[in-house]
Amino acid sequence: MSDSLTERPRHGRHWWRGDTPGLRLARHTLALVALALVLLPFADLAIHTRDPWGELQRMALGLAWPAWGSLESPLSAIGLTVAVAIWGTLAGVVLGVPLALLFARSRLVRAGCAFLRAIHELFWALLFLQVFGLSAFTALAALAIPYAGIFAKVFAEILEQTPRAPRDALPPGTGRLARFVYAELPLAWAQLAAYTRYRFECALRASVLLGFVGLPTLGFHLETAFREGRYHEAGALLWLFYLLIASLPGWSHRRLIPVLLIGGAWLLGPWPSVDGALVWRFVSEDIWPRELLAGDWAGLTSWLMRIPDLAPAIGNTLLLGLLGTVGALLVAMALWPLACRHFGNRGTRLAGHGLLIVLRSTPELMLAFLFLLLLGPSLLPAWLALALHNGALIAFLMARHADALTPGMPGLSAPGRLAYELVPRLYPGMLALLYYRAEVILRETAILGMLGVATLGFYIEEGFDYLMFDVAFFLLLVTATLNIAVDALSRRFRPRDGAVMDDPCAR
Amino acid sequence: MESEQRRPPIGPALVRFAAEDLGHGRDRQGRPAQLVLPGLTLTLHEGERVALLGQSGAGKSTLLAELRERLGARAAWCPQHHGLVPQLAVYHNVFMGRLPEHSAPAALWNLVRPLARPWREVGELCALLGLAGLERRPVGRLSGGQRQRVAIGRALYQGRDIFLGDEPVASVDPHQALRLLGLIDARHATSVVALHQRELALSHFDRVWGLRNGRLVIDAPARELTLADLDALYPDADEPAGASAEPAVEMPGVEALPCARGRP
Repeated sequence: MSDSLTERPRHGRHWWRGDTPGLRLARHTLALVALALVLLPFADLAIHTRDPWGELQRMALGLAWPAWGSLESPLSAIGLTVAVAIWGTLAGVVLGVPLALLFARSRLVRAGCAFLRAIHELFWALLFLQVFGLSAFTALAALAIPYAGIFAKVFAEILEQTPRAPRDALPPGTGRLARFVYAELPLAWAQLAAYTRYRFECALRASVLLGFVGLPTLGFHLETAFREGRYHEAGALLWLFYLLIASLPGWSHRRLIPVLLIGGAWLLGPWPSVDGALVWRFVSEDIWPRELLAGDWAGLTSWLMRIPDLAPAIGNTLLLGLLGTVGALLVAMALWPLACRHFGNRGTRLAGHGLLIVLRSTPELMLAFLFLLLLGPSLLPAWLALALHNGALIAFLMARHADALTPGMPGLSAPGRLAYELVPRLYPGMLALLYYRAEVILRETAILGMLGVATLGFYIEEGFDYLMFDVAFFLLLVTATLNIAVDALSRRFRPRDGAVMDDPCAR
Repeated sequence: MESEQRRPPIGPALVRFAAEDLGHGRDRQGRPAQLVLPGLTLTLHEGERVALLGQSGAGKSTLLAELRERLGARAAWCPQHHGLVPQLAVYHNVFMGRLPEHSAPAALWNLVRPLARPWREVGELCALLGLAGLERRPVGRLSGGQRQRVAIGRALYQGRDIFLGDEPVASVDPHQALRLLGLIDARHATSVVALHQRELALSHFDRVWGLRNGRLVIDAPARELTLADLDALYPDADEPAGASAEPAVEMPGVEALPCARGRP
């Protein structure tokens, strides 16, 4: 590792002082894990239920013997889930493309998009719920608005990386639009389409989750069945969800998209009757503290003091974000060899793949919800959910990259291959990816509060429940700020060398 | 030489460099941030056909870029590594030579259904270039030589008086190269073409500019030069293979590759 040194390095505590990329990454990782361990005592990881194992058994039984007959109108729930996902994605593209074209030039647009991205789909849904009720508009806006911010950023990055040569070859005087459609768009098209497809997959999961705030998608039926302990029915719904995700490549063919769009338009509904005055009152008065509108600064301070448990909520959110990130790292390191062609046999690889697919296609909120039923409301179920879902996602990407590698030295034992051939090549990219995921993990952390974990989301939902819109909106702003700050921080600490897994579809 | 006889007399100067510093970028005083050709003195006359020779990295592309900037809309441009859009059809790539002449809606509609007049004109040009019948094929599915001809077709379609080409005949066989240079000559009175084929430079051009390490070491009529004179531009040519570190420079730059960061 230290062949570049002129002086022969001494044996001993070299790992502590050495300056090779490998040692630097190892110290980086150890520091991260140590930080998580030091902060672990501050986290509430208690198990509050009496019989978690029995409950788990009943759930597993439900999953093993799903009660298909007891489902009420599963097709309409699935139809609505898909319709919301596809129209939400389309609306996100329509809003996001013009922003992407302005993205590089306007600091305002960049900041605005960062804000839109920083608030989770479900929080947007909670916000729109107050004015548009349980309507299709709420569902579409909840997806379209954050996705517009995401599309703007990713599309801008993709367009920026298209080769410049065709643009430079154009004769002088070519108009902006003509240049875009002839020499930029065709070059970026395949990547833009791939990213949009990936975002649609995310939209599908988010659309399921919108059921958790009451919109009648698949998630609504799932939550109800689980909460009421009807595990056989919940098992059937869960299988339905996995079937929907697994069959996605079959029914999301390019030619079928117009059919899905037109069919989806019929299923969308109900449409709200919008009262303009009401919307305006909500935007201009309800979400702002009365003291602020009146210009009463002393009153504003006392309003701020009355906000319940702001500091613990922020602390819990950050702590859970850190624990989730470190947990995802450990889970990914443990799971990726299971699904990679360099280890095990056909059977273990198939099982590994299956495990990773189930874990990464189940949304964190749903996993957290299941663990919450098992373990009761502490940080533990949320931590498990974040670590497992994100860890599986990273492990899947690592396994895919490892499959593309050919070991240079044949005939090594499995641990030798792991330690000398694969991990040194994969780890830098994996750590970089983890830092990208940190922002996503924090976004999810906040939303897990809606399940009863004491993060910011808990107080935001409480604010909406008690019609304290000003408090809820303020907490939303705090969440967004926190997210933007963590994003900037992770950008700062992200290891630079070796972003081999830098795929926009992974963020 | 027969091309010599029908040549019009050399006309007035089109571009004149008088001890100028050329390079990339601009610093605060407006000088090149990265100097490539210091103190260049050179004149391009109307009606002249110039071969530009020199090793990779000698400054050929920098000189051509500067000429292109100064000549503006009077010069047709055929860039190194073609600069084509692989996803678009041959027709659309050639059409791009006259993109500024069409309104934005017309240019958009042309992607859906080719406009009648350009379709006819491009078809005729493709027939001349040996690309007949390939108008609708995406450039990405053509061979290297065919792409080269599409790039030349796009430059010819611009219909300008002056032709500037950065190795426009680098990836075709010598026979093809002669034919393509003939086509370029027939449509442009003046041309500056960067080349690697020394024989072609002497047989086909009026004048040779030779660059070496950022200096113009040859600026003479082609008929006064011999192959031995041109050999001086390539100091590594007679060293044994393997001793030269040059080939690495021949690789297309990262920007020229279809996938700039190697992403899937």
